[in-house]
Amino acid sequence: MGSGHWSTDVYGAAASYRAATGRSAFAYSDSGARRVHERLDPRGVGVRESCDSDEHPRSTPIAVLFDVTGSMGNVPRTLQGKLPELFGLLMRKGYAADPQIMFGAIGDATCDRVPLQIGQFESDNRMDDDLGSIVLEGGGGGQRTESYELAMYFMARHTSLDSVQRRGRRGYLFLIGDELPYPQVKPAEVHRWIGDELAEPISVAAIVAELRQRFEVYYILPSGASYAGDPEILGYWRRLLGQHVIELDDLDAVCETIALTVGLGEQAIDLAEGLNDLDDIGSTATGAVGKALATIGSSSRGGVVRTSLPDGLETDGPEDGLVRL
Amino acid sequence: MTGPGRHTVVVDLGYGDAGKGTVVDLLCADGPVGAVIRFNGGAQAAHNVVTPDGRHHTFAQFGSGTLHGVPTHLSRFVVVDPLALAAEAEQLNAIGVPDPFGLLTVDAEALLSTPWHIAANRLRELGRGASRHGSCGMGVGETMAYALRHGDAPRAGDTLDPPRLRRRLAAVRDRLSDELGELGGPPLDDVVSVFRTFGAIVSVVDGRAARRDLLNAGRCVFEGAQGVLLDEWFGWHPYTTWSTTTFANAETLLTEAGHEAQRLGVVRTYTTRHGAGPLVTEDVGLTRALPDRHNGTGRWQGPFRVGHFDAVAHRYAVEVAGGVDALAVTHLDAPERVPELAICSEYVVDGSSLGRLVPGERGDLAYQERLTALLGRARPARLDRPAHRASAIGALLDAPVVIESYGPSTADKRMLAATG
Repeated sequence: MGSGHWSTDVYGAAASYRAATGRSAFAYSDSGARRVHERLDPRGVGVRESCDSDEHPRSTPIAVLFDVTGSMGNVPRTLQGKLPELFGLLMRKGYAADPQIMFGAIGDATCDRVPLQIGQFESDNRMDDDLGSIVLEGGGGGQRTESYELAMYFMARHTSLDSVQRRGRRGYLFLIGDELPYPQVKPAEVHRWIGDELAEPISVAAIVAELRQRFEVYYILPSGASYAGDPEILGYWRRLLGQHVIELDDLDAVCETIALTVGLGEQAIDLAEGLNDLDDIGSTATGAVGKALATIGSSSRGGVVRTSLPDGLETDGPEDGLVRL
Repeated sequence: MTGPGRHTVVVDLGYGDAGKGTVVDLLCADGPVGAVIRFNGGAQAAHNVVTPDGRHHTFAQFGSGTLHGVPTHLSRFVVVDPLALAAEAEQLNAIGVPDPFGLLTVDAEALLSTPWHIAANRLRELGRGASRHGSCGMGVGETMAYALRHGDAPRAGDTLDPPRLRRRLAAVRDRLSDELGELGGPPLDDVVSVFRTFGAIVSVVDGRAARRDLLNAGRCVFEGAQGVLLDEWFGWHPYTTWSTTTFANAETLLTEAGHEAQRLGVVRTYTTRHGAGPLVTEDVGLTRALPDRHNGTGRWQGPFRVGHFDAVAHRYAVEVAGGVDALAVTHLDAPERVPELAICSEYVVDGSSLGRLVPGERGDLAYQERLTALLGRARPARLDRPAHRASAIGALLDAPVVIESYGPSTADKRMLAATG
C-alpha cells in the first residue's frame, strides 16, 4: 500500500528515461552475462522482418553487425555512443526513407560462447535495447578468423525485407571487423547456433552471392584495430566485395560513414553534399569520412561500382575524382 | 508443496502493508525465480524491502524481487504509471540495479494512468472533504473508472503507435477537464513525448505469450498489491480500492497459461490500516507503540493506524479469497516489544457476540455497506495473548505458517517449509 511514493513529474521522468538510455548501453554484458540474450538469440527465430507500415510505408532496412571479439576493442561502445546521431542524420537529411536499423554481433563459432547475436529491425530507439543486450565476447580465436560466414548465412536466409519484396530495393548490411571469415558455412555450426539442417557446406562466395540479392553488403575495417591495414585481410574482403570495403581511420566516424554510405546508395546525395551536411551539424568526422568513402563516392551519383580495385590503391581525399551528374 | 505447482501467489489478508514485498524478496532469495508477476493495483503500491547490507527500496511498479535480479512482468490487470516508473527505476539504479528497465516487461493491454487521471483523483478526493475514502492520490481508481466508461482508454501498447497515443491522451485530458474543470497538468506534447520514450525503453509485450513463456520456463511469484480487506467487491464499501485484491486475477492469468500455484496469505501479528475506514481492533496506544518504519501520515491517505490482530476480519479475508494454502506471518518481533499486543477472535456487536462475518454476493455493494456499518458498531469481545503467536494465528486462519518474519531484512526471516 502506499501513497504515491514516486514522483509523477513529467520532466523528471523524461530525464530519467534519457539517463536510462545511456546507462543501458551494454548493461547486459557489463553485468557479467555470458549467454546470448534471448532477444538476440538467432536459434529457431524463423525470420527477422523489416516491414512497411502506415507509419513507415517505405522501410529501408539497415543492418549493422560488428565483431565483438577481443581484437575489436571498443567498436560496440563507440557505436552505442554515436547511435542517436546515425538515426538523426538519416532522418533529418532525408538520406533514406523510413530507416529500420538492426544490430548484431559476430564472434567465433569455433571457440566463443556467443558466436552470433542478432537483434530486430527497429524504427525507433528500441534498437538501443538490442545494442544494450549484446554480450561483448572478448576472446576470439586468435587466428585472424571470425564467423562472418555464419552471420551472412543468417542474413541471407533468415531475413524478410518488404523493401525487396514489394519495391525491389535492397537493404544495407554493414559488417564491421578486422578479420577473415571461415572459408565455408559449416552444417554443424548452422545446426547448433541457428537450428537449420544443411545437407552440405556453403562456400563464402556462394553465401555472399545469395546475400547480395537482399542487401548491399559493405565491410568496414577500422584502423587502430589490431589488423588494420593488414594487406591479406584487406585484399581478401576486396576480392569478395569489391569497392564495398571501407577503411576507416577514425572509429568515432563510424555512424557518419554508415549514414553517408546509405545516402550515396539511395542517391539522396553525392559525397560532397554529404560532407557538407556533416560540417553543418558540426561533425568532427568529415575528414575521416571523406577519406574512407573516396572510392565509393567517386562513382557517379548513387551508382554502385562492382569492379574490384587493385589492392592498396591510395586515394587522396574527398575531392579526388568526384563525378557530378 | 505438492499439487499446486511450483508457482506462488502472494496476497495480503488485511488492509495492505503486511509485508508482501519482504515475503516476495525472500522467495526470490530462496531459489531461482523466473519472474515476479504483478496482477492488480498500480503505482500506489509501496512494498518495502531492506537488504542485509542495509539498502532499502519501496517497490511500487517494479516487483519486490528486483534486488535479486528477478525480472518483473506487469500484466493487463495492472495500471501502469510511466512517470512514477521512471522515478522508481532511477532510484533502483542508484542502489545498484544496473538496468532496471531491462528487467521489465509490460503487457500491451495494461492501462496507463496519466497526469490528468491523477489530478482528477485528487480533485474528487478533495471534494469529499471529511468523508474521504483513503485514496492514495495516484489516480489508479480514476484510470480504471475511466477505462470502464471509455473504450479508447490509453494502454501500454498505444505508446508504440504515436498518432493513436496522442489521440487517446488528448481524449483523457479533454473529457476529464469537461467533467471536473481545469485540471492543470503538463502540456499534451510533453506527456506524449515521455510516454513514447517509455514505450521505446521498456519491453511492451503480448502478455499472454510472454506469461506462458515465463510460467513454462521456471518458477514465478505473483505479487499482489494492497490487501483483500480493501477488495473492490468484498471490502468495507466505500472504503475500498478499485482493484480485485484476492487471488482471482492471478488465478485468471495462471489458468490462461495452463498453470496452478500455491496461495500464500500474508498477515502481520497485528492489524493495521493506512487511511480511513473500519478497523475494529484499533488502539491508540498501539498506534503510538508501533510506529511504522515506512508508513507515516500520507497527504492523501491520512494516518497509519494500528490495532490488535483482528482474526475475525482476517478469517473473512481468507473466506472471500477462496482459502489459502499457507501463511507468512510478519512482525513477529512486535509482541515481545509491546506486551499488550493481543489477538481478537470475536466481536461484540449490539450486545451479542459475533465470530464470523458472512460474505455477501460478489457485486452486492449495498450488503458491503451494511457490513461497514456493522463494523462501525463492533468492539473486540476479548483479547487473548497466546505465547506462540505464529502457530496461534495459523490455527485461527486454518493454514500452516511457512514463513516467519522477525524484522525487515532477509536475515530476519525463517522458512519453515518449502514453499512452491
